[in-house]
Amino acid sequence: MATASARPANPIVEKATEILQSLIAPVVCSSAVLLVWQLLCSSADSKMPGPIKVITQTIGTITGGFAENGIWMQLLNSLTRVGMGYVGAAVLGIAIGVAIGVNKFLRDGFDPLIQILRTVPPLAWLPLSTILFLQTPKPAENAGIFLIFITAIWPIIINTCVGVQQIPKDYTNVAKVLRLSGKDFFFSILIPSTVPYIFTGLRIGVGLAWLAIVAAEMLSTGAGGIGAYIWNEYTSMLDDSISKIILAVFSVGLVGLVLDRFVGWLGSLVVAE
Amino acid sequence: MTILVDVDHIDKIYPLKTGGEYVALRNVDLKINQGEFVSLIGHSGCGKSTLLNIIAGFEQASIGGVVLSGKQITSPGPDRMMVFQNYSLLPWLTVRQNIALAVDKVMTDLPAAERKDIIEKHIDLVGLRAAADKRPGALSGGMKQRTAIARALAIRPKVLLLDEPFGALDALTRGNLQEQLMQICEEYKTTCVMVTHDVDEALLLSDRVVMLTNGPEAHIGRILNVDFPRPRKRMEVVNDPTYYPNRGEIINFLNQQKRDKRRKARKVSEEKTSIPAVTAVKTVEKSVVTLGYVPTTDAAPLVVAKEKGFFAKHGLTQVELIPDSSWQTIADGLANQRLDCAQLLAGMPLAMSIGADRKRPTPIVTAMVLARNGNAITLSKKLYDDGVRNLKDLKKAIAATPDQPHSFGLVDSVSMGSLLTRYWLASGGIDPDRDLSLSIMSSAEMKNQISKGFIDGYLASEPWNSAAVKDETGFVVATDLEIWDGHQNKVLGVREDWAQENPKTHVALVKALIEACEYCDDRRNREEIIKMLAKPEYLNLPAEQLRPGFIDPFQRSLDQAPEMLVRFNQYYVEQSTCPRRAEALWILTQMARWNITPFPKNWTEVLERVYCRDTYGQAARELGLPDSVDDHESVKLFDGLVFNPDDPMSYLASLKISHEIRVEEIVFEEAPAPRSLRSKSLAA
Repeated sequence: MATASARPANPIVEKATEILQSLIAPVVCSSAVLLVWQLLCSSADSKMPGPIKVITQTIGTITGGFAENGIWMQLLNSLTRVGMGYVGAAVLGIAIGVAIGVNKFLRDGFDPLIQILRTVPPLAWLPLSTILFLQTPKPAENAGIFLIFITAIWPIIINTCVGVQQIPKDYTNVAKVLRLSGKDFFFSILIPSTVPYIFTGLRIGVGLAWLAIVAAEMLSTGAGGIGAYIWNEYTSMLDDSISKIILAVFSVGLVGLVLDRFVGWLGSLVVAE
Repeated sequence: MTILVDVDHIDKIYPLKTGGEYVALRNVDLKINQGEFVSLIGHSGCGKSTLLNIIAGFEQASIGGVVLSGKQITSPGPDRMMVFQNYSLLPWLTVRQNIALAVDKVMTDLPAAERKDIIEKHIDLVGLRAAADKRPGALSGGMKQRTAIARALAIRPKVLLLDEPFGALDALTRGNLQEQLMQICEEYKTTCVMVTHDVDEALLLSDRVVMLTNGPEAHIGRILNVDFPRPRKRMEVVNDPTYYPNRGEIINFLNQQKRDKRRKARKVSEEKTSIPAVTAVKTVEKSVVTLGYVPTTDAAPLVVAKEKGFFAKHGLTQVELIPDSSWQTIADGLANQRLDCAQLLAGMPLAMSIGADRKRPTPIVTAMVLARNGNAITLSKKLYDDGVRNLKDLKKAIAATPDQPHSFGLVDSVSMGSLLTRYWLASGGIDPDRDLSLSIMSSAEMKNQISKGFIDGYLASEPWNSAAVKDETGFVVATDLEIWDGHQNKVLGVREDWAQENPKTHVALVKALIEACEYCDDRRNREEIIKMLAKPEYLNLPAEQLRPGFIDPFQRSLDQAPEMLVRFNQYYVEQSTCPRRAEALWILTQMARWNITPFPKNWTEVLERVYCRDTYGQAARELGLPDSVDDHESVKLFDGLVFNPDDPMSYLASLKISHEIRVEEIVFEEAPAPRSLRSKSLAA
């Protein structure tokens, strides 16, 4: 006690030092990358802007990003689209996953189809989905949403299905001894024990969806979104276009990371242990 | 006490991918009383968990079934709540929610408030108040197990099933939990069945410890009653004078089983090297079989099997019946391989396997009983004239003339008749080794000697008793029906290595003889059988002499009217043919009592090996007959003493007239490898 009172340890200070220490390595390494980048692009005839130039050229874009067709609005536009397709994929994917996980006939029947479709690259769906939604009010918009849906659903189905099959025998034995009804079994045992698998699927799904949206928006016309934003900058090729593209690409990466972490965090809330 | 769970003769058979089947449990029969704590103990793979799962309803017995208070168990249910080995708590629920799930889903007819009370009460019962809102991930192993026990008890099961409940816990936690479980069970009078491999745990908690033999065909080897007073405390139990003897019994049993497991493993590896030669044959390995016997009416099944073609029916086209005048010659013939198999006196397979009379042990197996009853004790005319009519008079007559030698004739020291005579004499207060001189002689010689007054009595099978009555040289004082009705008298014996070498021949032999026994027990056939037996190549006696007891009424003395003894020669009824291990154990106790052999400390192992129920079971099943009997049923003899086959040691201790009992571990020497294997290994 004597030593403890002699050197009072402030928990906040301790925590702060801990965070600062953990930041040292990323900061050093990122700075090194920026430095190399700056050096490589410092010659006068370099087409590629260095990091300093990127920042100076895009200050306006960053601050004015919330104006109509600004970069942040376009990002939000893409996010909304992903959100709609992804929620659809999650709901339907979990339902289908549970159904084929429980029923051997369905599982055996649909497995080959799922195995084939899940390997189709997202962009291969684009022409089909565009044609499919040609007659709807917002064809490009809907085609994008469908693309997200069809991309994200497979890992969700597969993981949910595996989760249902992997329900430990211990839990089903408990259900048998207690003679749980079908409904009780579904909500008390099946869903809770499958949740970790579902979230694995959801996390893979969201990553794929975000990968797909940028490419889709680049290719389809009139849809807007961050992909279209990058494409527009590329085609117009103004003085600051490259810097804007770099900013957009960086933002896409950042959002992808946030999405992944968000779903992971949601999962940790729901899954015990 | 009422029986709550009735495990009724169950078999558990798993089909194998290779096409055969694996018999995990064979004929397990166990009755569990209301409020009783029963432990199942055995080596891993003995099927104890399978048995528990069958009681729980997770698995179904292939044959037989389990009845819980009058209803057959077909699926799991909350009346048989299980405490699983790995706790089986739902990790996403807290302690309270785990218990609540069970209570809410099972006790649906109770109001919510009452259910809540039950949940809270059981949280307190296992002392988990402080952790009630924690999930299993945050609990120690002991706390998880307490939660599982609380969950199980909360729904008031009729039987609590525990599958190695404390196996994964450290010693301290285990000790505490055991005492807690014991308190709870005593308080609520819960009926429990626990699977364990911990001998001390079994002794501390149980009323009965059920010991299972090794698979395949695992069955109940022994049941040990544990009588420590309740409520029990670990320290008090350990200090009980019977604790270590009991513990020794279980350990001893487990050691025997370990040895047996090694032996079986060795056998399997030997078989693997010779699969095409031995197991591929569909028919019997040997059609020429030599069968030794001593000509008496007990030989009827052998003669019938040959004459009526039962042997031939089962593929044994050339069975040669070889008569011998003495049992000793038969035993030697079997040991030196002159005979393939033989009719033996009931005690001979055990005596030969253990090595009585300082003889070299020859492992013999017996797969069926050929004849039951059929003996009588004859006393001399002189004793009759002195007024001797019963055992009591005999004792008096012997006591009155201490200066005179009294002698008795017996056919063999290990015949059932001899053991029963000794038992009969001893229960009348006559020490057969001190008050009498016993001599071994052939039956014909006995009749001769009693007429000359050289012996005072003898025990023999027919026709040697009736003959003395007819000649007025003696009278029958008792038949064995009065001593032990239905005891085994003659059995079929083969060398263990022969049985291993010729399994199909062995089964065919047993099948043919079971059918012959059935034929013999039908009284309509007896006239015909008498004619067969009387033939010169068999008994070579006038048919008239063979009739008393077998067909005609049995006459004890000329003064008495002949009496019809329907069961005097019993061959088939009441599963006569089944080699009962309880009877064999009685024989072991008597052989030890009269210092003929030591009592095997590992008697379960000896019985399992000598009394070959696998072969009998297979033969009986192929004939569509019941393949087993209860080996744990107590036997009551004429004097009212009860022999409990689960506790031979206290039976031995209770016998008044007895030699000092030697208890020894009997380790059979290995049967020599079958000839086919030997030649193979030479070639290799």
